[in-house]
Amino acid sequence: MAAKSGKQKNLTKEEELLLQDFSRNVSTKSSALFYGNALIVSAIPIWLFWRIHQMDLYQSGIIFVVGTIVSTYLVSFAYKNVKFVLKHKVAQKREEAVSREMMKKLADDKKMNKKEKDERILWKKNEVADYEATTFAIFYNNALYLVLLIIASFYVLRNFNPNINYIFSVGTACGLLALFSTSTK
Amino acid sequence: MIENQTKTSFFTGISCVGRFTAKEMKFHITLFILAVTFFHGYSAEEEDAGRLLASKNVLNQYLVEGRDLTVEYRIYNIGGSAALDVKLEDDTFPEADFDVSSGSLVAKWDRIAPNTNVTHAVILRPLKYGYFNFTAATVSYLPSDKTAERQVGYTSAPGEGGIVNSREFERRFSPHVLDWLVFAVMTLPSLGIPFLLWYSSKSKYDISKPKKN
Repeated sequence: MAAKSGKQKNLTKEEELLLQDFSRNVSTKSSALFYGNALIVSAIPIWLFWRIHQMDLYQSGIIFVVGTIVSTYLVSFAYKNVKFVLKHKVAQKREEAVSREMMKKLADDKKMNKKEKDERILWKKNEVADYEATTFAIFYNNALYLVLLIIASFYVLRNFNPNINYIFSVGTACGLLALFSTSTK
Repeated sequence: MIENQTKTSFFTGISCVGRFTAKEMKFHITLFILAVTFFHGYSAEEEDAGRLLASKNVLNQYLVEGRDLTVEYRIYNIGGSAALDVKLEDDTFPEADFDVSSGSLVAKWDRIAPNTNVTHAVILRPLKYGYFNFTAATVSYLPSDKTAERQVGYTSAPGEGGIVNSREFERRFSPHVLDWLVFAVMTLPSLGIPFLLWYSSKSKYDISKPKKN
């Protein structure tokens, strides 16, 4: 009974690891990275609205803070989704190259058995895919966010009151970003 | 005396709050005609007296708080003789609302010959934004050297004009080159760093593939 439960425990650990690799959940480290990046990119519009749309930093402080928080949340949500979709694609693409590299590296190591090597390759593949998906998701979403924001605030809502312009352009930019990220193709 | 110093050619294109409407222009013309008849009535009695017509115009298309605004006065003598000791006085710009940037609100001419024009311009700087009613300035002169009695008349009045908030004006018309440059510098790391990291990883694994093939 005790052995059985122990085995079960082991299995769940492995399963957990496996699940972690393929789930939408991200580690604390990359979550912090996402929120940090999202915060930076969400705070940038404040500069535009302060300097170019001549909004007052103190008078519109509340709108800026709320807008930045909402946008940070939605942008990081978009990062996570895009990363999740990309990770699988990247993993498939890089599979061959990564395993070749790892085989070359581990070729001299005679002690290691095949299973262990396979595990190493899988681990490396996962790491590479994770890294590439993360960096690309951040780049892609930042670029898209800024483009959407500039189009909204300087073309579509150009003649509106700056406060309304800020609320709607930031809302549109991060809303669309989050929406686009949910598409799986 | 400043002759048409700044015709402020940079205010072109898009219509805005500070422009005089057609209605105001009509009002302005009516006043001008009134001014004409006023002077005419006085001097019709003496055929060879000097008769002056005066107009006042704001030359700017946009009136902006804290920016130069040019007011031009034109005086034309339609009489048979020279008008003497002509004095143009404009006390319609309160000191609290306008700064004189260049020129003077008082101008004098010893004589204005018949059928000639004189022009005077003054550059002001509005200190407040909002609507301001531009009213008539005063012209006084001696119609001929025989009379000692000064003739007093008024210029046309440009009417009400909106003075635009400088902040609003900046927002609409300033190119903000420096601000955009700073924006570019701020966005560069958030786009450049992830792209470079991704690109270095991509090229590392993409290149190794054709090597073997």
